[in-house]
Amino acid sequence: MNRPDKLKIVLIEPSEIVTAGFKSIVERSHEFEITNTFPNPEYYNHTHAKADIIVINPAVINYNERFDIRSFFSNDGDNITIVALIYTGYEESVMRLYDGSINIYDSGSRILQKLHSAVEDARQNPKNELNELSTRERDILIAVAKGKTNKEIADDFNISVYTVISHRRNISRKLGINSISGLTVYAIMNKLIDMSDFN
Amino acid sequence: MNNNILYTHRTKLADIVAENSCMLSVLQRLNIKLGFGEATVAEACRRYNLSADLFLIISNIYSFKDYLPSVETLKPSDTVQLTSYLRASHRYYKELCFPLIHEKIHSLVKELDQVSRHLIDKFYDDYDSEIENHFAYEENFVFPYIERLLMNENNDKDKFRIGKFEENHSNIGEKLNDLKNIIIKYLPETYSSPLRFDILKDIYAVESELRKHSLIENRLLVPLVEKIENSNEQAR
Repeated sequence: MNRPDKLKIVLIEPSEIVTAGFKSIVERSHEFEITNTFPNPEYYNHTHAKADIIVINPAVINYNERFDIRSFFSNDGDNITIVALIYTGYEESVMRLYDGSINIYDSGSRILQKLHSAVEDARQNPKNELNELSTRERDILIAVAKGKTNKEIADDFNISVYTVISHRRNISRKLGINSISGLTVYAIMNKLIDMSDFN
Repeated sequence: MNNNILYTHRTKLADIVAENSCMLSVLQRLNIKLGFGEATVAEACRRYNLSADLFLIISNIYSFKDYLPSVETLKPSDTVQLTSYLRASHRYYKELCFPLIHEKIHSLVKELDQVSRHLIDKFYDDYDSEIENHFAYEENFVFPYIERLLMNENNDKDKFRIGKFEENHSNIGEKLNDLKNIIIKYLPETYSSPLRFDILKDIYAVESELRKHSLIENRLLVPLVEKIENSNEQAR
């Protein structure tokens, strides 16, 4: 019997062997359960899996989008815990965006321990600051305010249109401003752009 | 006031108005004069040749926040009064509400630097023309369609269906909400005149008006017209 208060994990990992191994480790736990597994995040975005924790292999994220990890799961709310499942080393600036990381050479008990502390860490130090725009979001806001289309922004930043859209959704949610002209007013008032950008 | 009891034909009109200041502008739009004494809704509506059912739905929308209107009690013939009420509402927004906010914003931004002033002015001008187009589309295209429909004068070439109107019914409250947030959060603290608070109160009031207005269009006008479309088609 599942206890009702188990935290739901969605695993995004391309290797079937690793997926099976991770599943069998989590099955020993009374704290967590795996509700879904996906080989890559594209599939995840098309389902309504409601997860408490996303465990994801950062290798499935396009290199250009490695700083956009949080915006992929922005629909899951701000309380989502995102844990990296890594085979190899990653840049510190990228790892900082995750609430924790698991190495595939970690022992089973160490993995469960790490999951536990990642959840705690996410609670205490939320990575999705509710109020402030991230640097990336600010850059995208500037581009929007200058009148660029989603496609142009995607090309400029080398990210997908889908990612641009989720950034824009987050920007509007944080600022409470939806229209492009409203965002332009915001950008000018905060001196992110000036009128000469329009000439 | 008991919050759970909706108004009925036998409710005194004066009680409805005394409970809710927004009803004043509804009375004005319906050309109902003050001084109706103890008249009930039924009596007052009879005097003014208004559909009491329609008046009750509008009163309930304005008075009870979570009230979800339905067309069950309305007859196709009420559509004429409904569209003329909507036209009167448009006039009220266009001639009174928006110009007032615009004027106040204009004098608020006088204190701002030139760039911000220009921007906010432009933002509001854009919004003004958006509203203008929105209302004009309804008045020059949708309402005449409904009037033809009521007289069964629509020819087969008339491909428009009211369902399409609902699809295109853009959210005219969005920019207003943006403006509200800009004034609350992002105008510099130094511009803290009473006027800034005053404008916000006006914006809240218009927002709440527009929400009710959309509710009336989407939950009353559209289903009512769909009924007429269906019965006209069956009659063919």
